[in-house]
Amino acid sequence: MLKLNANYDTFLASVNIFPLSNMYTGSSREIIGKWEKKNRVVYPPQLPGEPRRPAVIYHCRREIKYSKDKMWYLATLIKGMSIDQALAQLQFNDKKGAKVIREVLLEAQELAVTKYNVEFKSNLYIAKSLTGKGQYLKKIRYHGRGKFGIMEKVRCHYFVKLVEGPPPPPEPPKTGFDQAKEYVQQLRNRTIINAL
Amino acid sequence: MAAPTQRGLVRLPLRVCLQGAESLLNPIRLAQSSLVVPVRTKKRLILPPRVKTKYTTPEEQKEKMRASGIVIPHEKLERSITLACTASIFDPYIPPEGDARLSSLSKETLKQRAVQLKQSTISQLAIRKVKQYDPNFSSKTFPEMAQKIFIEAHDCLTNFNKDKLHSLVTERCYPEMVRGNRYKTIRWSFVESLEPPRTVQIRHFTMMNKDNLYGQVTVRMHTRQTVVIYDQFGRLMYGAEDVPKDVLEYVVFERHLVNPYSSWRLHGKIVPSWAPPKDPTY
Repeated sequence: MLKLNANYDTFLASVNIFPLSNMYTGSSREIIGKWEKKNRVVYPPQLPGEPRRPAVIYHCRREIKYSKDKMWYLATLIKGMSIDQALAQLQFNDKKGAKVIREVLLEAQELAVTKYNVEFKSNLYIAKSLTGKGQYLKKIRYHGRGKFGIMEKVRCHYFVKLVEGPPPPPEPPKTGFDQAKEYVQQLRNRTIINAL
Repeated sequence: MAAPTQRGLVRLPLRVCLQGAESLLNPIRLAQSSLVVPVRTKKRLILPPRVKTKYTTPEEQKEKMRASGIVIPHEKLERSITLACTASIFDPYIPPEGDARLSSLSKETLKQRAVQLKQSTISQLAIRKVKQYDPNFSSKTFPEMAQKIFIEAHDCLTNFNKDKLHSLVTERCYPEMVRGNRYKTIRWSFVESLEPPRTVQIRHFTMMNKDNLYGQVTVRMHTRQTVVIYDQFGRLMYGAEDVPKDVLEYVVFERHLVNPYSSWRLHGKIVPSWAPPKDPTY
């Protein structure tokens, strides 16, 4: 009885009996992630005197066949850059993840112009650029002498937050004078305990 | 509560003895006990490829299925669809050029033209057909009702009251009104009506069968409205606050006449080619 059931299941898996039933299935990722939900925030209308609020676009790609640690190098490379500069840098980077991130940035740029009422597609900069761990698969890797290792097939997610406007200027490096000022301030902050 | 053993026998109370017997008698429990529960392995994300694939084409697989005796019940995928509205505006009204403009023609000739249009034969036939199903219909009182529906529908749009909006607007018009507005703030208000609304054209159509009747009425409205749209981040996108604009519209209302519980709903607008261009969006 068991064996017959097993055949039935595998048979059904290989043959698509009801091709029309696929039209009611959604994408395999049914859980909408927190990053995607950040796009749903609606702000109240601004008063005429207020400065114009910059548009913010959250975009991500899930389950990229790449390591999250290797992707991290590319994510930190483009952090804080304007979108044109980031696209240029990724175009001439030899890593596999660079191609993927470039596609994600172009998608996000398109979304910004069509959906989020951004006027100029170059007027965006990357405020946040993160990687996350995707679902891992396990496989067996055979070694000699009857030994084996468990191979992990890694996948990662990539998240990006684009903000409208020119990129913020980089922080100036800390000079010796600033360090000295801080030291003197620390000395001045000291208090004498158990005294009048 | 077992009694002390006597001659190696355990004397149990009657209900304990009959517990097993009860399960045998109860048919549901019998079925459960006889069902074979297959042991599940861990759910794998990817199934490994099948090694021995003897039959690949669907015809071969069907043959093998028939031979092995597996019967898959053929389910009929039937989903009933109710058509509560037509897909478009049939025989659209062609508004005369210079309708709301000051032209060299005198007002009287314009009025005459308007009256002529209303009295065209097709409209008369349609009115008769509509009165057959809806005896309270009158082409004179209808425009006021239509304007009320129009104002209510737009108010629902500003509040995003989806349920009420569905009852005031047909399924064909709803996506046109709502698309792209999900994350936007819309402020709309109706200031006043410059001219009393009037019916301009009435038509009736059948879909699928000869009995399935839909009626479409075009109403001409010359009104003053204010509209402001803010985008997702609260920035002004279109229009200006408290700046009323004169609007000449030809609005089409539809009703599924055969259904006694249907009502007249907003179906669409006719935008003439000579309409003034819209304001730019920011």
